Amino acid sequence: MERDGTLLDDYVLSLVDAARPRVCFLPTASGDADHYVVRFYRRFSPGCEASHVSLFRRDQGTGGVEDDLATHLLSQDLIYVGGGNVLSMLGAWRAHGLDAILRKAWRRGIVLCGPSAGSLCWFEQALSAFHGDPRPVRGLGLLPYSNCVHYDAEPARRAEYHRAVADGMRGGFAADDGVALHFRGTRLEHVVSSRPDGSAYEVQSHGGKVAEKRLEVRYLGAPAPVKPERAGSALGCAAHTPARAAQEPVAA
Amino acid sequence: MSRPPIVRIEDRSILAMGGGGFTMEPNNPLLDDYVLSLTRRTEPRILFLPTASGDTSAQINSFKARFAHRTCVAEHVSLFRMRETPRPLEELIFEQDIIYVGGGSMRNLLAIWQAHGLDKLLIEAWKSGIVLAGLSAGAMCWFGAGVTRSSGPPEVLAGLGLLEGSLTVHADGEPERLPVWLAAVRSGELPGGWALDDGVGLLFRGKHLERTVSSRPGAGAQRVDAIAGELVRTRLEPELLLGEGPSKALGGLDEAVEELRRVHRLRRGMGRGRN
Repeated sequence: MERDGTLLDDYVLSLVDAARPRVCFLPTASGDADHYVVRFYRRFSPGCEASHVSLFRRDQGTGGVEDDLATHLLSQDLIYVGGGNVLSMLGAWRAHGLDAILRKAWRRGIVLCGPSAGSLCWFEQALSAFHGDPRPVRGLGLLPYSNCVHYDAEPARRAEYHRAVADGMRGGFAADDGVALHFRGTRLEHVVSSRPDGSAYEVQSHGGKVAEKRLEVRYLGAPAPVKPERAGSALGCAAHTPARAAQEPVAA
Repeated sequence: MSRPPIVRIEDRSILAMGGGGFTMEPNNPLLDDYVLSLTRRTEPRILFLPTASGDTSAQINSFKARFAHRTCVAEHVSLFRMRETPRPLEELIFEQDIIYVGGGSMRNLLAIWQAHGLDKLLIEAWKSGIVLAGLSAGAMCWFGAGVTRSSGPPEVLAGLGLLEGSLTVHADGEPERLPVWLAAVRSGELPGGWALDDGVGLLFRGKHLERTVSSRPGAGAQRVDAIAGELVRTRLEPELLLGEGPSKALGGLDEAVEELRRVHRLRRGMGRGRN
């Protein structure tokens, strides 16, 4: 949901094999911010069966979803997780059993995606900036790597991620704003970008020495020579769009 | 950083409100002024935790509107937009005199605090004599258990357990909680405890209930225990607050507060630019 374009949203919708996809938004990481929910419906309701789940307004019957949460989420084609604070989000998810539901959704082939905190959460470990210094956070662990987002947006991020990996965080993937890592199963299949200059990297430690490898990125704005294959296989498919638009809640 | 020393149990304070204060009573400052009066500081530092609401701007703005012109240093901490407070939580918590917790989802509140390690910091804050105050979810969280509607229908949920017994809130405003609580106390699922109307606050010193206060005439509270499977209900008569403390000085308050802040800023050498 970048403000200046729909390239990443169009890409993730192209992964779903449905004429009118069922898309559910989880704005937990923003504290279920109203403006974010509105932005989601503006973007997705024209072409999709759009819904959202609020974990803060369930008492007022305005949680977005009337059904049982598991039933609702497991009937989606795409689950879109918004940005914000990844620790707060994971805490609230655990309290409502959403962590288990999302693991099940992934195994069933429902496409999972999200920017920022909505990217970090799928990995085994994530680098997240708190009050003070960034530190590693344990995610849902669907993807056996670490993840770092906003790699270009904050000058210290690269050094912090390298240091964390040198200190024992597992190797993984870093993405600039506007760049999405698309995993099929646990394998990185495509790296796509809504910005011509967006980059992504694989960062590994070899005997305490950190190496960064630049990944091939396909700019989605150029005429696309390859149409991404459809999902819907028995394998889970997690697409990640670690992109942050100017006024989206900032990860961390 | 060094932690403040542990104080005697009778010097630890919690004000648990069934509802009321700046988020629910925008035109009635009695409970909030009472909160400020609970420390001996002339200009207490008060920190608002809006976690249970998802850090809504509405709660944060109400907090600012209520406390900005009172004799205190007021700030909030967001666990969703942490760049608003880019300081370690530990540092922020232990420099406070009062920590005020807003209402919302008790389940989310406790889970998010735990994810950030804030539950442990708040227990330490209480032990060091920092006053804890809160309404609704922000009141029940200090007890052994409360009755929450975090998932829709009312249900029992364990709290941090600083105070013994259970608490249910909004006894008048959201009456559907009360039967769930009474049934849980009767069956022994929950220990006995208190049911509070909106506008009523229980002041605990240590684990001992010291005062029952109210911002509204007619608001009530009851203590309920199960004895041999039967509920024994005792009505408490809250003392109606009369605006003791800061609100008495309403005329010219802003100017006096500003003067005091100027002096404090000078004394702190501008500190960290809090204002």
